[in-house]
Amino acid sequence: MASDDMPDFSNVKSGASSTATRIYVVVSGDSLSKIAKREYGDANKWKQIFEANRDIIKDPNLIHPGQKLKLPSL
Amino acid sequence: MKNALYATGLAVLLALTMSACSKKPAPPATPAVVTVKAVTVGKAIGADKRVTALASSFARTDTIYAAVETDGSGTATLMAKWTYHKGDKVAVVNENSQTLAATGPAVTEFHISKPDGWPTGDYQVEVFLNDAPTGAQKFAVQ
Repeated sequence: MASDDMPDFSNVKSGASSTATRIYVVVSGDSLSKIAKREYGDANKWKQIFEANRDIIKDPNLIHPGQKLKLPSL
Repeated sequence: MKNALYATGLAVLLALTMSACSKKPAPPATPAVVTVKAVTVGKAIGADKRVTALASSFARTDTIYAAVETDGSGTATLMAKWTYHKGDKVAVVNENSQTLAATGPAVTEFHISKPDGWPTGDYQVEVFLNDAPTGAQKFAVQ
């Protein structure tokens, strides 16, 4: 919703990536493929996220809100 | 006996001194904390996340990139705050945060796009490192 005579920016799309490993905090409803789609634009990249987090993820179908995942630079 | 002890002590001291002198200088250490070295804005980035087409003026349909170069190691949170300026009014366009586990020099890019086109006018992207402002770049959409 635009305020006064200011433009409406509610449909702005944003993204980010880094050459460094990023830290992502899991939220309710997340899955590795959803995170991969959002962060890398490719749901199949879930395997790379899984591999980077083998120390804290035993089952790729089971991640928990609050978990801090490493997102490798791909 | 006393002379032997003296000679042994002298030899050990000499060996330690020679060892210290022969050591190569240590390479420059990666700073223990993450710092922002530069913020650049442009229309495209490369595989290294650096801006390849610097710009301060954009078309309405452009995707706008801000690349943040950092140095140092450790965990740090970068935030890019994009704003639109009209007279003395300011509207927040977008905010995006990324937490990094840095191990040395790195580049982090933030980008924004608007499907129906950017309103023409003046904009700014300000970068915060752990909530502290570290740099800003102004640009325009024409």
